[in-house]
Amino acid sequence: MKKHPMLKYLKEEGPAGPRLPLIMCPGCGVGQVLNYTLRAVDTVIHEDGLRPEDFVFISGVGCSSRLASHYLNFDSAWTLHGRALAVATGALLANPKLKIIVFTGDGDAAAIGGNHFIHTCRRNLDMTILCINNGLYGMTGGQVAPTTPLGQTTTTTPYGNVEDEFDLCRLAQTAGATYVARWSTAHPHQTIKTITRGIRKKGTAFVEILSQCPVHFKTAPAEMFRGLKKSTVPLKKAGRKETQGRIPVGEFCDIDKPDWVARYQKIIDRLGSDESPHE
Amino acid sequence: MSRNPADHLLTPGVHYLQGAQACAEGAILAGCRVYAGYPITPATEIMEHAAHRLPQVGGRFIQMEDEISSASVLLGASWAGVKAMTATSSPGFSLMQEVISFAIMTETPLVIVDVQRPGPGQGYITTSQEDVMQARWGHHGEGSIIALSPASVQDMFDFTVEAFNLAERWRTPVLLMAEETVAHMRERLVVPPLADIRIVNRITPQDLGIAPESYLPYGHAQVPPMAIWGQGYAINHVSLVHHADGNVTRYSPKVHFENVARIHHKIEDNVDEIARLDARWLEGCRHLLICYGSVARTGIEAALEAREQRNIPLGFIRLKTLWPFPESQLRARVPDLDTVFVPEMNLGMMKHPITEALRDRCRRVVSIPSLGGLHSPELILSRIYEELA
Repeated sequence: MKKHPMLKYLKEEGPAGPRLPLIMCPGCGVGQVLNYTLRAVDTVIHEDGLRPEDFVFISGVGCSSRLASHYLNFDSAWTLHGRALAVATGALLANPKLKIIVFTGDGDAAAIGGNHFIHTCRRNLDMTILCINNGLYGMTGGQVAPTTPLGQTTTTTPYGNVEDEFDLCRLAQTAGATYVARWSTAHPHQTIKTITRGIRKKGTAFVEILSQCPVHFKTAPAEMFRGLKKSTVPLKKAGRKETQGRIPVGEFCDIDKPDWVARYQKIIDRLGSDESPHE
Repeated sequence: MSRNPADHLLTPGVHYLQGAQACAEGAILAGCRVYAGYPITPATEIMEHAAHRLPQVGGRFIQMEDEISSASVLLGASWAGVKAMTATSSPGFSLMQEVISFAIMTETPLVIVDVQRPGPGQGYITTSQEDVMQARWGHHGEGSIIALSPASVQDMFDFTVEAFNLAERWRTPVLLMAEETVAHMRERLVVPPLADIRIVNRITPQDLGIAPESYLPYGHAQVPPMAIWGQGYAINHVSLVHHADGNVTRYSPKVHFENVARIHHKIEDNVDEIARLDARWLEGCRHLLICYGSVARTGIEAALEAREQRNIPLGFIRLKTLWPFPESQLRARVPDLDTVFVPEMNLGMMKHPITEALRDRCRRVVSIPSLGGLHSPELILSRIYEELA
């Protein structure tokens, strides 16, 4: 059987035995996002002359964050719930040459890590944030998240969710991220292209990927997948009467401004030291 | 304009500095090039000095949005191969426990300074030793910790260098348990010739000739070599119970025990190498005064006076290391005693490990507490005289 082309970027096994398969449930979108991300990384490695050791993957805690546990044949860290972006900040300040990719989820980024998310975007730290949004807390059994639709029942909203949901792309853009986009697992080609752009972007790139959780929404994966297509609308068609209520997908912003390290480097240069931490 | 970073280091010789500044300078000389922090009284002076000094030596300083993220920055910086530090005060130290626990499990070298203020809650902004138990037991789960207790501006410099050395040597977080007293104090600091300052750097797999394909991030030795990001070792840092190669599947209590017991024992088996104490007047002493931090400064005055004015055979010990607790060193040094006095700026915390260590060596251990202010020699003396009357 022909091996999946992206397996070259994974650690299939080691001295303590096999590391695969992924822990994700059947039909989950997180594995798809891993595939899309590795294809984008593969593109950047081949087209931009980067090496695998130039990349670091950092995650927090949750289903999405399991991607940076022990599967990747890259430098990686599976860190604390909500804190992935702060950890990534430290790695970037220590070695700005690293291409940092953060895997996060809607609970990880928007609830417990919400403040770090806002300030990472505001500082325009050079990293790519991939937020896999499945609309609830999957790992703990399907609790309400800041991204859960109004009225939705979950294990902690047994009578329906009374809170409005967070629009993470609007939040990222308002906070100062230089590249902001949203797609879904049902848009593979667009997602791969967008992640590639995000990695190439100098500054904070935020990509939200709407994903299915068939287990906790108690819906067949294929049905959820079709739902992701039906419930979304390309940005340029959004806001029209006939597309009302559908989630806009596409690129929300792509601007250029100096990132944190570039601005700080000017201070280092002005003060006259040519020693930088990682050289 | 200078282009040589060494020109930006603190020059050897005599300086007159604040403890907070001495701490930041010690960090820079130890090789700290990333500092992250969040303002809090009475620790802020350390971060202000770091903000001023880090870019001068090519390092990077960042003021984060809270103490949790400040401590989290140190993890990423350390994995990327750069020594990193933060400083906070007690309420912020509570918030950093999450990272301390995580850094123990991932065996990440980093330095956290706690300029202690009294609690609980906001408590006050004066001086304190109320976090000495939190230093050891504040983080969830098992795992030993290294915590130092400086008593002077010189210590704030020397112990900060030592904290980095210990963190790198043992691949673990190290806590500098300072107090407002020593952080705000200004006094003489002697910086030795730079070549005489011992700097320890972590062992990498390259140092041991280990190739990426045979590298075990949590194996090879009791203190595993640590690969640096960007060097082709594809190291996956994980805090879930893991095998030596970092694999997190096939959990068993046996794997769990091997993983966590090693992390515990790499510190506890080496207490005599890690921990230090100073002792005076132990020969023929009947009673003993045990102090740490700035209390040792008034403590030694009190001991001297009790010996000279009243001929009390009182020995004196200063704990320079609080954790791991230097029990075997203490037992090796002290004779059979009557009363052990332990003045602390809390209601009696280190009194407990001291009592345990000297369980069969003394008749009783007497706590001399103070909250929010440093003991005067008179306070310590009056309790000693009262108890021995």
